[in-house]
Amino acid sequence: MIAALTHLLAQVPDAPTTVLTSGRGINDNLFVIIAISAIFYGTPLLLAALGEMLTERSGILNLGVEGMMLMGAVAAAWTSIHASGPGWSVVLQALVASMVVGGLTALLHAVLVITFRVEQIVSGLAITILAGAAGLSSYLASTWELASGPVPHRLDLLDVGGLADTPVVGPLLFHQNVLTYFSWLLVGFLWWYLFRSRTGLHLRAVGESPATADAMGIHVNRYRYVHTVIGGTLAGLGGAFFPLAIIPLWSDGVTGGRGWIALALVIFGFWRPELILAGAYLFGAFSSLSLTLQARNVEVPTQLLDSLPYLMTIIVLVVVSTGWARRRVGAPAALGTAYEREAR
Amino acid sequence: MIRLERRVDQPRWLKVAVPAGSVLTALLAGAVLLSLTGHDAMETYQLLLERGFTSQGAFTATLTAATPLLFTGLCAAVAFRMRVFNIGGEGQLIMGAVGASAAGIALGDGPVVITVLGMILAGAICGAVWAGIAGALKAWANTNEIITTLMLNYVAANLATYLVFGSKSYWRELGGTGAMFPQGKPIAEGAHWPSVDFGNFTMGFGFFLGSVIAIGLFVVFRSTRFGFQVQVIGDEPRAARYAGMRTKRAIFGLMALSGAIAGIGGASDVGDTRYVLDPKALQQAGYGYAGIVVAALARLNPIAVVFVAILMGGLSNAGRALQGPDFPAGLVGTLQGLLLVFTLGGELFARYRIRRVAAEHAAADPADTPGGAPAVTA
Amino acid sequence: MPETTTNDASAGGRPPALAARRITKRFPGGVVANEAVDLDVAPGEIHALLGENGAGKSTLSNCFTGLYRPDEGTLAVDGVPVEFHSPGDAIVSGFGLVHQHFRLVEPFTVAENVLLGEHGRIRRSEAEARVAELGDRYGLEVDPSARIWQLSVGQQQRVEIIKALSCEAKLLILDEPTAVLTPQEAESLFEVLRRMTAEGRSVIFISHKLDEVRAVADRVTVLRGGRSEGTHVVAGTASRDLARLMVGRDIDLGTGPVPRQQRPTAAVVLRVEDLRATGDRGETALDGVTLDVRAHEVLGVCGVSGNGQRELAEVIAGMRARTAGTVEVAGTVLTGADPRAAHTAGLGHIPEDRLHTGLSPSLSIEDNLALTAYRRPPLSRGPFLRRTRFRARAIELMERYDVRAPGPTTPTRVLSGGNVQKVLLARELSSDPKVLLAASPTRGLDVGAIETVRTLLAEAADRGVGVLLLSEDLDEILSLSDRIAVIYEGRILAVVDRADADVEELGLLMGGDVSHLSATPARGSA
Repeated sequence: MIAALTHLLAQVPDAPTTVLTSGRGINDNLFVIIAISAIFYGTPLLLAALGEMLTERSGILNLGVEGMMLMGAVAAAWTSIHASGPGWSVVLQALVASMVVGGLTALLHAVLVITFRVEQIVSGLAITILAGAAGLSSYLASTWELASGPVPHRLDLLDVGGLADTPVVGPLLFHQNVLTYFSWLLVGFLWWYLFRSRTGLHLRAVGESPATADAMGIHVNRYRYVHTVIGGTLAGLGGAFFPLAIIPLWSDGVTGGRGWIALALVIFGFWRPELILAGAYLFGAFSSLSLTLQARNVEVPTQLLDSLPYLMTIIVLVVVSTGWARRRVGAPAALGTAYEREAR
Repeated sequence: MIRLERRVDQPRWLKVAVPAGSVLTALLAGAVLLSLTGHDAMETYQLLLERGFTSQGAFTATLTAATPLLFTGLCAAVAFRMRVFNIGGEGQLIMGAVGASAAGIALGDGPVVITVLGMILAGAICGAVWAGIAGALKAWANTNEIITTLMLNYVAANLATYLVFGSKSYWRELGGTGAMFPQGKPIAEGAHWPSVDFGNFTMGFGFFLGSVIAIGLFVVFRSTRFGFQVQVIGDEPRAARYAGMRTKRAIFGLMALSGAIAGIGGASDVGDTRYVLDPKALQQAGYGYAGIVVAALARLNPIAVVFVAILMGGLSNAGRALQGPDFPAGLVGTLQGLLLVFTLGGELFARYRIRRVAAEHAAADPADTPGGAPAVTA
Repeated sequence: MPETTTNDASAGGRPPALAARRITKRFPGGVVANEAVDLDVAPGEIHALLGENGAGKSTLSNCFTGLYRPDEGTLAVDGVPVEFHSPGDAIVSGFGLVHQHFRLVEPFTVAENVLLGEHGRIRRSEAEARVAELGDRYGLEVDPSARIWQLSVGQQQRVEIIKALSCEAKLLILDEPTAVLTPQEAESLFEVLRRMTAEGRSVIFISHKLDEVRAVADRVTVLRGGRSEGTHVVAGTASRDLARLMVGRDIDLGTGPVPRQQRPTAAVVLRVEDLRATGDRGETALDGVTLDVRAHEVLGVCGVSGNGQRELAEVIAGMRARTAGTVEVAGTVLTGADPRAAHTAGLGHIPEDRLHTGLSPSLSIEDNLALTAYRRPPLSRGPFLRRTRFRARAIELMERYDVRAPGPTTPTRVLSGGNVQKVLLARELSSDPKVLLAASPTRGLDVGAIETVRTLLAEAADRGVGVLLLSEDLDEILSLSDRIAVIYEGRILAVVDRADADVEELGLLMGGDVSHLSATPARGSA
């Protein structure tokens, strides 16, 4: 299986692993390489975490991120194989497909927790079980035989303004794929949306105090539905990054638990887009460390290095869960609780 | 227009009708999915039933497949009862397998009672420690147990893989074919767990042990002081603390208990089924998640977990046996997911009364307040 | 008594600001919260809605603000029929509600909260300017850039009113607005309301306190059991008559003390010395509290909500860590935050949040009654519970404390407030405490339950329990206490004997004004 994968990757020109483990010319140094892979592996985390942040800002906890990402990944892989048209158009269709499917998966969660009043934690887990590595994503992938060959159309690195070879900043800022650029725009937009726009103000009110929002004529559950679904589209987009950029050959559970890391990222990004960006890249760096070091012929026990991002998640989570941090930057006050007008 | 009203009490027939309706709807949804993707739904279901339960030798294999689900199901049910969301059954089971295989290798030539007990104990301790980490962090550092137990799943999987594939550890077979292809060191034949032949089918010791544990847990929850504590803390931790219960200690203890059960599941995987630490197989099997499905479908009742585990075990056994081009991977997981989703959604009909109301009130914007109460539009 | 008719309201020629006709609202389970209630509010009028807890006042006001949809009846605003599908509709019609539990987003600034009710682009500086301007005009001063959680309860109420005014509210509905205010703060609130009505706005003032209604309202509609008992001009109606309409029988109007036996020199059972603790946000909540409670006495601690009462109760009960000071219950010094140790030493505790802190809401009455006693015989033997004893004990206690419920297996969450409190009292008193700590024990209860609870507390004191009563309701403090302590910003400003207590003076102290204090030492034991 591993051998087959390596073999297939070798046939794929410009496979991402080679792009990432050796820089060009002056940029062939460890710092730049680690920074590049931080951004590369951080991008899907960033997209999914931004989506979950939006959802949680409305007071809905969606533990189904991993499932939504996998559904997005399946949709993107299928579209890349079966859609027709020029390469850029196929990739665009694949991205849209991943968003639609991710959003639909999130809609299921929204229906369960908002309309059917299922407990949010349990429903989110159910979504991940239904859609996850051993569930629907795997079923669809095997029904559609996605694993029979590499995904033909993928996200290419853009050389913006021909600046890709500029020392240090070139590969970091001017040599990324379109989804990475989109994620940067998204961070800025979401910051403005949350803290400067009226809908953002309403959204935060819904997440902090739904009763207040309701009394002010804000449609609490409408906000919750919309932002849960948008969160799902972003998770789907993050999932699409895997077949379209990281691992062009389908394998079940291709996201490898990144959805759960995205959930943790929201917590220690304190529900703020700019901090989530920083956290995502930190994790990006860690999750590619063993790959990077191996390519440089550094002897490391791979499995132990691969555990680092997970262990780090736990450590950071412990730190931000202390009373000190909790008092200053808590979760949205109504997170995880259904809103019902007070019954008597 | 339709209104939802919270039921004050649930009629008895609803407690049967709602779950039954949910299961039927889930099967129907599965059938739609199968048809849409070009499979014959009726035929698939019939095959599942045959290979899972009715055909020759099927029930033995089903019990074997049900055993790990029984343990992870109990693991989840125990923790969820106190609203401690231990999602780490997977990692705790793997750690249990690590501990039990070491014990099995070490004690292999001794008397079978000692060996089996040693494996059970080693598995339970390793699982308890692994869950205890997350439990301690939740109790004393207020850390979200969902994330920590999940992260520890990946760490446990990596650790087990490292032991067998990444190092020359005690668990790795270094002689024979093991010199060429990395693989675990098998436990001695004397350490294989016994099984009981019932004529039509055979039951492994692991399943028997799990059923005994389930009955024990039922008694604990029903009529002990610890069970009472779990009930109160699960309902309202503040009230429990205020009533003088040591909630932090209870959280830690319950997590350790939950992990120990999953750990014994790992021991059973080594002693009953594989006789070796097989990290890849354990990771692929996804026992942890399936355990959550089992616990949720059993409504966290330990006795019900036994029966739901058999049902789910039948599904996965059939799924494994039928795997092939006509029977896509992931179908069993999808069906389990659908069962879970529809059962959860169906709860609404047990908790609320759905009522049609006169048309004159139907003017409201129905999208506004599907969650409003006590009487709302939906 | 002169009963006005609906026609009188529009006598001035202008249609009523609000005309409600035959409003009926039913809840599942057959509860009728309002039945065929008529109400007219004239422009420029302060109209009181008087009734005891559970009379349907809040339900009625929720029907006016779109939170509930009435099952029957019609509403008209300025003579135009309206139908509210959501709170947004009510806001558009010019209704503003100041809810009993404030509807404010705590992490937001004052200006952001005001912005919530508006549309279009956000202009923060304009919003802040408007808050300042409205504050100036009506005497509602508050810092527009302050965050809500930094404000006192009184200030938060001002924000609520500013929020409504900023939405151009023509009719302001205030639900029990004085419950959280000192008498002086209440008076300045009345002044704000008068300024508003002078501009032609109308006010619905919901209250269960006769004297307040007298002080501020032009007309009053009395509600009892969900039905209207008619609308009356306040000036022309005797208080006694209003009281009878409200309760349905003659009642004693005064806030005279519940009759008690006098046992002047008993031993100290609760000693609190220089207690310091921080609140949830790390702020100083208790700043050196010293108190003594003797057996046989009720010590009432009054103060405006948020001045450290909650933290004081929690520290004594072992639910919150202290930073300094000692707590001694019946001779046992309690170290550390350990509710079980406090309970063992002889402390009974009726917490403020009775349903969620005092009880486990989904559990049955019998389980809740066993919540502290289950560890010991006769309720358990070794690690096992004896469920039959649970049942027997529950039946006996329910009988003795008159808990009305279908049976001992009924979950406490479905009980009425009064029965919840009786379950709690039954449990705490049945363990023979030396000290009983009661936080707002009658808040939100109906008149009958209030009487029961107060009697139980007084009886406990008569039996020799030292009762520490924490309450924001000055009437309750006055009716039960032997001595009264005033808490302000985490300090005890004064302790006075009930006989020497003066409402005006207590009110000033509750507002932190100590200028009139001569040489009263701020010590716990008088």
